[in-house]
Amino acid sequence: MKRSTLVAIGLCILAVGSSRAAAAQSVPAAGPGRLEVSFGALWIGQLALGSNDANDTTPTGGTLKIFSTSTDLGGVAGLEARVGVRLLQSLEAEAEGSYGTPQLKVTITGDIENAPDVTATESVQQFTVGAGVVWHPPVQAASGRLAPFVSGGVGQLRQIHEEKTSLETGLYYYAGGGVKWLLFARPHGFVNAIGLRVDARAIVRTKGVAFDDGGHTSPAIGASAFVRF
Amino acid sequence: MRRPLAAIVAAALVFVQAPPAYAYLKFGVTVGGQAITLKWTQTPVRYSISNQGITDVPLADFQAAVDRAFATWQAVPTASISYQFAGVTAAQPGRDDGLSTLGFQNRPELDRVLASTSFLIDRVNGALLESDIFFNTAFQWSVAPAGATGRFDLESTALHEIGHMSGLGHSALGETELRDGGGRRVLAAESVMFPIAFSAGSVAGRTLKADDITGITDLYPEADFARTSGSVSGRVTKEGQPIFGAHIVAFDVARGTSVGSFTLTADGQFSIGSLTPGIYILRAEPIDDADVDSFFDAARNTDIDFRVVFVDRVVVVPKGGDSGDVAVAVVRK
Repeated sequence: MKRSTLVAIGLCILAVGSSRAAAAQSVPAAGPGRLEVSFGALWIGQLALGSNDANDTTPTGGTLKIFSTSTDLGGVAGLEARVGVRLLQSLEAEAEGSYGTPQLKVTITGDIENAPDVTATESVQQFTVGAGVVWHPPVQAASGRLAPFVSGGVGQLRQIHEEKTSLETGLYYYAGGGVKWLLFARPHGFVNAIGLRVDARAIVRTKGVAFDDGGHTSPAIGASAFVRF
Repeated sequence: MRRPLAAIVAAALVFVQAPPAYAYLKFGVTVGGQAITLKWTQTPVRYSISNQGITDVPLADFQAAVDRAFATWQAVPTASISYQFAGVTAAQPGRDDGLSTLGFQNRPELDRVLASTSFLIDRVNGALLESDIFFNTAFQWSVAPAGATGRFDLESTALHEIGHMSGLGHSALGETELRDGGGRRVLAAESVMFPIAFSAGSVAGRTLKADDITGITDLYPEADFARTSGSVSGRVTKEGQPIFGAHIVAFDVARGTSVGSFTLTADGQFSIGSLTPGIYILRAEPIDDADVDSFFDAARNTDIDFRVVFVDRVVVVPKGGDSGDVAVAVVRK
């Protein structure tokens, strides 16, 4: 988490730094058919999966708590890649994938026989593959170099446990927004533009390592560099 | 065998394990030097009700309570065992007559034994031929739906004994406290197969728990169950040395259920099979909530001198597979 945050901050500083040099220039708009490839870092926040007590049944049918557990999928810094294509000047379709290794943590407390509290952990490999759309509203700043967008998408989630003994699958949905900052742009040529993209999303994950089939929401922040062809 | 305060294991039986699925305490016999798990090879298991020696409950109520207990075990969806009522008999339980009989007997000398299960086994091939259950009329019994003060619940006790009759040994999923006058009082239990009964008047023992369901399923799995269930296995050591008789509890963190087993080999290995795939944590504890001989032959060197501990890694039980060896290190008390 710390590493990805640093990456994101670094990219933002770079974007601000380059804006001064480019402020006076006008930027050509991205036309339909243009491809955009991006690669960067992604941080996804912690997910609370649930709590359960280990209970024994008393002679009256009540419960006696033996210990308590609370399970989380920790926040994770990972990698993210996207390939997008402009459908309209303001609308882009993109395929995306990400990889990270969040920690699955079970915190055990309050043992009736005074066993020390423990946080049991394992590392989970998490892959996502999905598709989404990016809409660029007709709002520009810094002479067209700063382009805000909103995005949303859906994809498949695959989580592999540490010993590779089990694979969990699920779905994820996201919605969010951010900005793209053009560092370089030209109306013609194979490479149309180079820039940076920072976005914030709410990701809803279902199934996978979750205890139930319902959706669980976590925040996510991505920062990437892109090349538009 | 079940007692209100403690329990005794029938000396003729040993607890055996047959790797790799040596979860739970199962009864077994040694035939030709080989340990064979004691189980019924032909079902339905036919049982009769003795009309002799009944004192506290009418015969029809006795039969109805026993029928409900058999039906409870038979209703486990993941297990294939079934039972069939064969009629009322004048035969007493304990007779080697080829008839599995449940009945009452007055055994005041067994002042801590509520009921007991015995077996007739073919020593040549290990086949289970007959199993009888007696309920001790030295105690007062009830079949009242909500229980009766001062009387032990017949259905709950029958459920426990039918577990034995089916081949299950005792579970250690329970908490007790010592009584001033000796013996133990059950604070709570999470298995019908816990060796010490709930106090008189309680009917909380009429419902099978995850531990019981997993145990009977492990003995008599439905045909397809192995493909959809998993197991956890590992080894318990103390100061680097393997220990025998450590109680290992696998807790399913998503479902909140506990299933227990023991280290049952000289090298400290344990295995719990027929588990629902998922995320588990493991807890190791000494058997100190009941007499050790409720679980193991007194001759076994059962180690109860260690502290309760949780394993500090998440254990994943995969569908159709095993968790892989989990190392559990405990320390002296």
